[in-house]
Amino acid sequence: MDLSVPPDITFVVLTTITLLAAILALQAKELIYGAISLGISFIGIAGFFVSLDAPYLGMLQIAVYVGAVVVLILFTIMLVRREEADKEEAGEGGEGAAGLWIAGLLAVSIAGVAALAGPNLPISPPATNLPISQLGPVLTGTYPVPLIILALLLSGALLGALVLAKIDR
Amino acid sequence: MSAALLGIGIYGLSVKRNAIRILFSVELIVNAANLNFIAFARYMNPPHVSGQVIVFYSIAAAAMEAAVGLALILVAFRLNSSIDVRKLNKLKG
Repeated sequence: MDLSVPPDITFVVLTTITLLAAILALQAKELIYGAISLGISFIGIAGFFVSLDAPYLGMLQIAVYVGAVVVLILFTIMLVRREEADKEEAGEGGEGAAGLWIAGLLAVSIAGVAALAGPNLPISPPATNLPISQLGPVLTGTYPVPLIILALLLSGALLGALVLAKIDR
Repeated sequence: MSAALLGIGIYGLSVKRNAIRILFSVELIVNAANLNFIAFARYMNPPHVSGQVIVFYSIAAAAMEAAVGLALILVAFRLNSSIDVRKLNKLKG
């Protein structure tokens, strides 16, 4: 992305919300607040999807992530947490610095590649927009086999999760 | 933006000890990848929906991964009464 282009207000707001919520999700003292903050971050990403002409995926993102995954995480936290919430922040001194280094290096290198490729990248998206009606035919017409595999995988994962959670009861 | 999200995810993955927070990090990384797919599909000339299809699959796969991961966390907690990954060092329950 070329930085000389003035970024529009939607991008700035969504970026701020998403990144702050993501940082808060990992750094919040209480695990429950972290999960809620993760949900807010996912909503921000859904906003990105909508602003990138993918409203269907934005809805899917909200339904699946905010509706299902975050609620699942909240249930797990309720089942698991008795004494976990307080003592988890201890003892991440040296590794904290190392993790920051790794993550920072990665982000800087990706940004560097983007900056090198900057002149070749399109500044603004092509004017034609993607109709939502194209998604269905492509999904079932061009890629039918992954869809079937995905369905089988979903049911398999669901059964597996049930068996795992129900074992030695 | 996506790189920053990925960076936060990797940081969490490498630093945190709580298994649930590690799962948070994995979800953040997957979301960064999804965002890239959508953005590149939109900026392609002409734009194409293949990126959206891939993200469709990816969201479903990430939901499965979260379900199985949380079930694993539950089992680990039941066996070990802790979700600190550094205490999960027994191979034999």
